[in-house]
Amino acid sequence: MAQTDSNWADRYREKWTWDSVTWGTHSVDCYPGGCPFRVYTKNGRIVREEQASIHTPIEAGIPDRNPMGCQKGACWSHCHYSQDRITTPLKRAGERGEGKWQEVSWDEALTDIADAMLDAIEEQGPESIITPLTPEVGAQPARLFNRVLGTPTSDGNAEFQDFSPGWHLTWGVFNPTSSMDDWFLADLTLIWHANPVYTNIHWYHYLAESRYNGGEIVTIAPDYSASATHADYHQPIRIGTDAALALSMCKVIIDSGLYQKQFVQEQTDLPLLVRKDNGRFLRGNEVYDWDREDQFFWWNTLNGSLTSAPRNTLALLDVDPALEGTFKVTLSDLSEIEVEPVFQLLKRHLEDYTPERAGEICEIAPDNIRKLARKVATRKTKIFIGWNSGKYYHGDLMERAMALLLGLTGNWGKKGTGTRSWAIMGMDGDAFMARKPGPGQEAAQKHIASMIAMRKLVSVNDPTMTPEMVQNRAAEVASELGGMGNMIPPAFLWYYQFGYKERWNDPENNDPTMKRSFDEYVNEAIEKGWFGDRASKVFQHVEPRVFFESGGNVLRRQRGGQKQLLKHLWPKLKMIVSVDYRMTTTGLHSDYVLPAAQHYEKLVHSMMSVHHLRFVLGDKATEPLGDSLPDVEIGFRLVEKIEERAAKRGLTEFKDCEGNVRSLVGLSDQLSQGGALREEEVRFDEAIRDNAVYGLLPKGTTLETLREKGAVRFTSWGSIGHGISQGSSIRPDEIHTPMRWHVEDKVPYDTLVRRAQYYIDHDWFIEAGEALPTHKEPTNQGGAQRRFLMTSGHNRWSIHSMNMTNNILLNTHRGEPFVFINDDDAVGLGIENGDKVRMTSNAGTMLIQAKISPSVRPGQLIVYNGFEPYMHEEHYSQADLEPGHVKHLGLAGGYGHLTYRAFSWQPIPADRAVRCDIEKVMD
Amino acid sequence: MPDNKKSKRQLAWVYDLNKCIGCQTCSVACKMLWNNEEEGADHQWWMTVNTKPGAGTPRGWESMGGGYDAKGKLHFGRLPTPEEFGGGWDFNYDDVLRGGKGRSAHLKKISGSKTWGMNWDEDEGGGEFPNAYFFYLPRMCNHCTDAACVEACPSGAMFKRESDGLVLRDEDACTGSQQCASACPYKKIYFNEARGVSQHCIGCFPRLEQGVAPVCVRQCPGRAAFVGFLDDENSAVHRLVAKHRVALPLHPEFNTTPNVFYVPPLAPAPLREDGSWDENASRIPPNILEDLFGTEVHGALEVLRSELDKKRRGKESKVMDELILYQWKDCLGHLTRDPAEIVWKRS
Repeated sequence: MAQTDSNWADRYREKWTWDSVTWGTHSVDCYPGGCPFRVYTKNGRIVREEQASIHTPIEAGIPDRNPMGCQKGACWSHCHYSQDRITTPLKRAGERGEGKWQEVSWDEALTDIADAMLDAIEEQGPESIITPLTPEVGAQPARLFNRVLGTPTSDGNAEFQDFSPGWHLTWGVFNPTSSMDDWFLADLTLIWHANPVYTNIHWYHYLAESRYNGGEIVTIAPDYSASATHADYHQPIRIGTDAALALSMCKVIIDSGLYQKQFVQEQTDLPLLVRKDNGRFLRGNEVYDWDREDQFFWWNTLNGSLTSAPRNTLALLDVDPALEGTFKVTLSDLSEIEVEPVFQLLKRHLEDYTPERAGEICEIAPDNIRKLARKVATRKTKIFIGWNSGKYYHGDLMERAMALLLGLTGNWGKKGTGTRSWAIMGMDGDAFMARKPGPGQEAAQKHIASMIAMRKLVSVNDPTMTPEMVQNRAAEVASELGGMGNMIPPAFLWYYQFGYKERWNDPENNDPTMKRSFDEYVNEAIEKGWFGDRASKVFQHVEPRVFFESGGNVLRRQRGGQKQLLKHLWPKLKMIVSVDYRMTTTGLHSDYVLPAAQHYEKLVHSMMSVHHLRFVLGDKATEPLGDSLPDVEIGFRLVEKIEERAAKRGLTEFKDCEGNVRSLVGLSDQLSQGGALREEEVRFDEAIRDNAVYGLLPKGTTLETLREKGAVRFTSWGSIGHGISQGSSIRPDEIHTPMRWHVEDKVPYDTLVRRAQYYIDHDWFIEAGEALPTHKEPTNQGGAQRRFLMTSGHNRWSIHSMNMTNNILLNTHRGEPFVFINDDDAVGLGIENGDKVRMTSNAGTMLIQAKISPSVRPGQLIVYNGFEPYMHEEHYSQADLEPGHVKHLGLAGGYGHLTYRAFSWQPIPADRAVRCDIEKVMD
Repeated sequence: MPDNKKSKRQLAWVYDLNKCIGCQTCSVACKMLWNNEEEGADHQWWMTVNTKPGAGTPRGWESMGGGYDAKGKLHFGRLPTPEEFGGGWDFNYDDVLRGGKGRSAHLKKISGSKTWGMNWDEDEGGGEFPNAYFFYLPRMCNHCTDAACVEACPSGAMFKRESDGLVLRDEDACTGSQQCASACPYKKIYFNEARGVSQHCIGCFPRLEQGVAPVCVRQCPGRAAFVGFLDDENSAVHRLVAKHRVALPLHPEFNTTPNVFYVPPLAPAPLREDGSWDENASRIPPNILEDLFGTEVHGALEVLRSELDKKRRGKESKVMDELILYQWKDCLGHLTRDPAEIVWKRS
């Protein structure tokens, strides 16, 4: 090949060379990912990256996971050198949001910030320093001060709404999630409230391969989404009516006797008895003076008697609990009442959901409902859900109805079944680093031994508690959660300090059937102490003074919009800090922007997740650019500066709102075991070694061994995070299937009734008519008179707004924000493809480009989220159209599993199905 | 037809359109390796994925002409304009983030096309709701056996590589006449204004030389891409194209004998007027697929459907197993080397 020996060919050859290769990954919450990459460096500059493709299959007969990655990861290095990268500490030199900056030294920046934090502590207490949880785990260490100052972190599940309230109501946990290779094994996959073609690029192949393996795929969505294109069936559905579809399928299944009777009897509350006189579960202390309030009952058909449903097992033993019938029971006061199983109540309730009736509600052909119901009842079925349903006002009802469908058909606890949500593991080694008695692994062993002993105390009064219950109770106390210990549900902070009180009391945003004002529910929740005083009462009087965002972008994300925050929160703040590697919209409105090292410039690991079961290393390929620093270095420097400045003003301690005295001396030593674990690499290695001691990683794992392998599989879930909520142990040679403890070993669920619970007899749920899963119409949020419903979802090209401004990715779409509108709707409004349009709801307005497609449902407007507000003319984005409303039932508590712990039950904002209008704008 | 079309072996690609999810990882990987921070290459995307139906890039490329007629006569088509290729955008980051302009400046394009991009009509598709339809079509140079560009090249810079059939261009000899781009019916040749040369996919030849697969295949997370020698019975490409006959060339009527093949798209059952599913009808109008892949598309789809059916009845299917790709390395043909192993001896 003579021609290629000339210069032109060598130029290309030279381009594909490098000086060094390191492991890379992206420490971000991309649903959550954890893709092993190789990072190629030449002349001190990162030139590109490529998936490492090092996965070997866990279980025979299932395709491997290579080459796990996506287009964002494939050009992540471009963000290192992008024009929005920050490499010097920036101090605001104009008005907030103006974009005028002065470059300053780290010392000057940290001095100002530390002083503002100390002022805030002295004026109002540590609660006035707010840090929203970041979805970028790598950025977490910048907020090390949280751990020593006791300042609150607002809970991520509310911050980014990735919660599945209906799962929590049913199972007591929201995240029983299989590893993604399990998707391959489903015989029927319902892609429902999800768009994995956009959002699961690294794993989508398992769905395509499941289909090739003989499985069927059905996509249920209002629009013909990208994820419908590879399905066998697309079922279009009227926006917000999914509960009616699921309930109608349940009716078909029950009417045709296709439900799994034993599964229903054993795993669910459907055989539990409910009093006909008051609609409440029959409880132990009503029947016997000596019995527990949380004892529930079956009617045993074998001997026609009332029988206690065991609290320590799901096994039916020698009982055949009745699913139907009305029975007489004598209470301890000798009165006689009638009771009936939940199943019978359910059957009556489902009379409203014939396929014909549901077909009208959902705008679906009744025959399709029947056909689909039969498929679900006769096959291993998985509901592939995203985090969309939970963002509907009545998303809890949709999810409860889907869980009912799975329960009736026995579709969880075995391979190829179940559903999903997000599920991450904690990293015990990191969380406990400051708590163990000293540096080194012996100290870690001592720590874990004392923790096990502490946990035994949690269950001392109730030996029937399962490991999952012990874990969850411990998390509710929060003392074990390390960095998560100061997590608060932010609903009350938002209500009193972010200006949401007015919005949440606007009847238009609420369920019209609500019996009382929103404020009355808030007050009742506070009075009854359902969320603890710290979270619920403090912000009635404490005003935020410092807002510290690291790796997040609250002005992009906050439902209710940036206007809301700039009007109500910003004026109260004396100091706003954004720690990031790039300038976000939040950064633009900050007082200081601190430059963090990029992901290939520091030691990171992937988000630890049950989805992928691996600890993946991201090594340091180059030094951080300019003055930027690894987050952990920023964290320590800030803590040290706080100590220094406190000493200067003679401040050695302070009290938090609960009267606890906290020291301002020796903070850095406290976090670093006396300085021994102060440096980035030492610290990272220690956390890995400790993880091996705690059992999360294979024995002997160190940073050095990881540098050889790049990634290792988990060996156990550890004791924090959502691992243990899986209700299954990790098996060395099998994919992960959640809820096996319940289904195989008959271990009870962590719900009030210790079974999958479809009947919630909490006062508020009964008042709302939501004791059983039911369908309710979307609210009028945004304005009853408005013609369109705006839906949203993650876009294809970025993780939140993180990669959105990457020039390479911008070139792969329109390069600017757009709204998808149906072609006929567009014609009617005189809107042409590419026109500038204004969208308006009662909450706000924004300018955006129109994109036209027949895939969009008439009456629907799709705005994929993740665009930086500063990409819109005027900088207002779709969040400004969303009222940011929460459903009042999220405030319910004092009821078994309806209690707060980090990343769990709490009010979360609804942003789907916002009513709005759209009009063409002439330039 | 060009004389130099004969190569000893032919490297070929297969893209499975039932696995392609339009994520652009192939495009981005290719861009990062060959056209990032390269002079005159801002607008160049040798690999692109577009939504079909759609105008793609360059906009309306299918009707621009080029290729051979049935008698083997070369036809020059129209040269796409930069505006039709679209993209090549840079943005006013500094103005927005450091310019002190607040809300009066927002991030916008400051260079490149105003009306089009390499994936401007993403996910728009065709049909009428609720029976809208679309699918993704990844496109690269077809490294045609009867390469019209090679015959059209007036300077002799273009050639078909003997060892693997790649269509390459000696950029030192290229005079920038763009005859190649006029002749290419797939319009996959770009012009580098700054350097005065045409450029297109080089098949990642420096990687091939090291036994490493091209980035578009090796980085495809959808596991939809395959590469290998067409005559290598051990390659999935050979089996999918020649044995199972489920992979077809794009626009065979252009008569250039392209070497990129596609497993045609299935689609969900359409809905009848009453909203019920019609399992016997086709959502994607058959003529749309025929226009792209010729009449053989029906046979290929029939094979896919019957093999799917086998799996659904619990039977074995070699075709489905091939497409499932249990072992990812099987999509790489003979090019299985991990590039991270390579240590360059730098002078």
